[in-house]
Amino acid sequence: MSKAGLAQFQQVFIEESLEGLDTMESSLLALDNGGDGELVHTIFRAAHSIKGGAATFGFPEMSSFTHEAESLLDEVRSGKREIDGAIIELLLRTVDCLRNMFARAQAGEPLNDAVAEGLRNELAAMMGRGAPAAGVQARRNVDQADAWTVRFRPHAGMLAGGNEPLRLIRELAGIGELTVTPELDRIPEFAKLDPTECHLGWTIELKGPAKRADIAGVFDWVEDECDLAIEAKHIVAEVAAPVAAPASPAAPVANVADAGAARAQREASAESSSVRVSIDKIDGLINLVGELVITQSMLDTFREGDIDAARMAMLEHGLAQLARHTRELQESVMGIRMLPIASVFNRFPRMVRDISQKLGKQVKLELVGEQTELDKTVLEKIGDPMVHLVRNAIDHGLEMPDKRRASGKGDTGTLTLSASHRGGNIVVEVSDDGAGLNREAIVAKALQRGLIASGEGMSDEAVADLIFQPGFSTAAVTTDLSGRGVGMDVVRRNVSDLGGTVTIRSTQGKGSVFTITLPLTLAIIDGLTAAVGEERYIVPLVSIVESVQLKADAVRTVAGGGELFRFRNEYLPVIRLHDVFGCETSIRSIDEGLMVVVEGEGARVGLFVDGLIGQQQAVVKSLEANYRRVQGISGATILADGSVALIVDIAGLVRLQSRRKAA
Amino acid sequence: MGSKTNPQRKTGEARVIALPADFRLADLADVKAGLLQALEAPSVELDGAGVERVDTAALQLLLAFRRAASAQGLPASWVGVSETMRDAAGVLGLTQALELPATMPA
Amino acid sequence: MAKILAVDDSASMRGMVAFTLRGAGHDVSEAENGQLALDAARGGRYDLVLADVNMPVMDGISMVRELRTMPEYKGVPILMLTTESHTDKKMEGKAAGATGWLVKPFDPEQLLATVKRVLG
Repeated sequence: MSKAGLAQFQQVFIEESLEGLDTMESSLLALDNGGDGELVHTIFRAAHSIKGGAATFGFPEMSSFTHEAESLLDEVRSGKREIDGAIIELLLRTVDCLRNMFARAQAGEPLNDAVAEGLRNELAAMMGRGAPAAGVQARRNVDQADAWTVRFRPHAGMLAGGNEPLRLIRELAGIGELTVTPELDRIPEFAKLDPTECHLGWTIELKGPAKRADIAGVFDWVEDECDLAIEAKHIVAEVAAPVAAPASPAAPVANVADAGAARAQREASAESSSVRVSIDKIDGLINLVGELVITQSMLDTFREGDIDAARMAMLEHGLAQLARHTRELQESVMGIRMLPIASVFNRFPRMVRDISQKLGKQVKLELVGEQTELDKTVLEKIGDPMVHLVRNAIDHGLEMPDKRRASGKGDTGTLTLSASHRGGNIVVEVSDDGAGLNREAIVAKALQRGLIASGEGMSDEAVADLIFQPGFSTAAVTTDLSGRGVGMDVVRRNVSDLGGTVTIRSTQGKGSVFTITLPLTLAIIDGLTAAVGEERYIVPLVSIVESVQLKADAVRTVAGGGELFRFRNEYLPVIRLHDVFGCETSIRSIDEGLMVVVEGEGARVGLFVDGLIGQQQAVVKSLEANYRRVQGISGATILADGSVALIVDIAGLVRLQSRRKAA
Repeated sequence: MGSKTNPQRKTGEARVIALPADFRLADLADVKAGLLQALEAPSVELDGAGVERVDTAALQLLLAFRRAASAQGLPASWVGVSETMRDAAGVLGLTQALELPATMPA
Repeated sequence: MAKILAVDDSASMRGMVAFTLRGAGHDVSEAENGQLALDAARGGRYDLVLADVNMPVMDGISMVRELRTMPEYKGVPILMLTTESHTDKKMEGKAAGATGWLVKPFDPEQLLATVKRVLG
């Protein structure tokens, strides 16, 4: 098989190995929490698969590394060794190390490093022996002769096990010239013969120079299923030369020669991402397409003949059916991109364990709704904000055991990650039963930072929302966990990049709940269609605060040419879409058009448009893929009449606006 | 690849046993049953012309059958032997014990 | 051309085996674990079964044991895909009725040579 042929499975192997590592990790953690012995088998199986596949798919370093871990697990599995915290710790680090190795494999970098080497030694030490001495090989004196006698008598059950003397003797014939004499004396009486049993035997004379090992090799599978005697008739020499290495020595050379190509292959496959789809989902799609075809052919009958009242009713029925199937098909196709959030949730048990140990806190992690599915792209991007929220919750939310006791709570704090579908959205919550937000501390900090002029009259929600302001941090001491110069503002920005929102509810002394609301998919957005001259723009619904009709004098021009208008208690900048995108429109006076108040990047602006046409779902088409990137536009969509509408990128517009202001 | 155990039909006095195309271990029970019945016949003709796949177990069955036949004084002769069968018997050193004819008439 | 059943829970390993054997002109079916392999085996006879040892739901050893209780799988070659470190697994597989084994890691050439060996 060509290297390219092998490479296609290399990527599959890496993907399934990464899944295997996740399984190992979660099982190790469960074991750490007193899980049952079946977990050891699960862990072993994962390690075993990685080891077996690694060498086959061209990662021998990984294979030998995993081998050490596997041996250790095997001892645990077979009851030779009791599993304890030290072993779990070591194996968890092994999992990390393997993950890194896979990352390096995908980048085409050398797999081994000092960490791997150190770990390998630790694993070997745990096994009660040093690193395996290099170059030790089983050496056997090579018996060589130019004539042999082989006596071969299969046990009765050998044939049923699939080992065929025909094959064995044919293989022997490849070594030398044979004279085969059967032994027929043990064949039972015909009526009593079980045809699946073997009662024959052979004495085989083999002529031609041959090694004992080659002859014995023919019988390697049946060693325990036959009586076998291999006798040399003429001994030529006792040679003490080393046995040829079992693996073909040419292989490593070939690997070097092909390394460049293999690397290119790996890089190419690392970039292309794929989704695994369950057969059920595909079957569902095929069904739907089938129904669509039926409906279509039914509708086809209306091409001819007059349409009377009865046929009209049928036509309407058919169109309704078409609409339903199209919607279902759309949902199903979207469903292909949907994956359970479990893959994101599963990284947290380990993280929570590590962080809480570091801080000396006791934390119980609860996962709810792990099977909730969301779009693969959203899934890939939701991890970082969640990591931050979880870190924050353990670091700032949950208290030390003594403090918890003092406030009448149990020593162990509970951190809950939950996911659920609500309407067309995914809601992910990170909640803790810790101290909750401290209103006074937040207000004091916000005053100090100049974020607010006074805390008087601010609602609790408004105060809580302050923590999402850029540069806000209330921790008295910046720990190395949360204090990485990344604040909650980054969480909010990441979430809003996904078209979502993040909010907080908190009760002092009881805990906090961070709620991330995300669209089900990035491929479809709900938006309002706005008209600007002849053009149509889609404004994402999640960004819209309100639409207002303003009087001509409500907008003030400030120095530098910018326009501001008063909205509730703040002054918001005006962005005239016709200016930004250079559209011809007769509506330039503020009182003739509509001001759409939108929010993005934590800031509000007013978008001035001619008017709003209506609400619709828009299937997002990439502008970059089909044309080029345009500032302030996140994509395009096709309207019901076939014309193209551009989708406004609110965050991008806000950035554009602030740059203008600065200029 | 369905195995067929061919019906035994009387040809004059002799019973002809046509050995199946797939003449291997998993399908030998049926063949053995046919051969057991054939031991009752006045004479037997074995037809191995249609044998496409054969194994040691099958040839061992034939060996045991021929022994039983000759112990009863029942004439058992070959009316056809496929190349596959001849080759297998040769490898196992059983050509003689099975009394396979040197060349077969068509 | 032979009908071959490749059983492995690892999609990559299974894919590689199937790909290699199909390339050599064989008719290859795939199964993810021992249980699915048994279902497949009941549905039609295979000339050769290649099975991983460690699999969820039903491991390779139990699968071999079950297969050998089926009359039509008496004598059919069944090879275990195993790793060197597990000599006892080879023996356990043999005791259950496996014909032989193929030691992981193996490359496509070794696989083809072994398959050729059992299929004759």
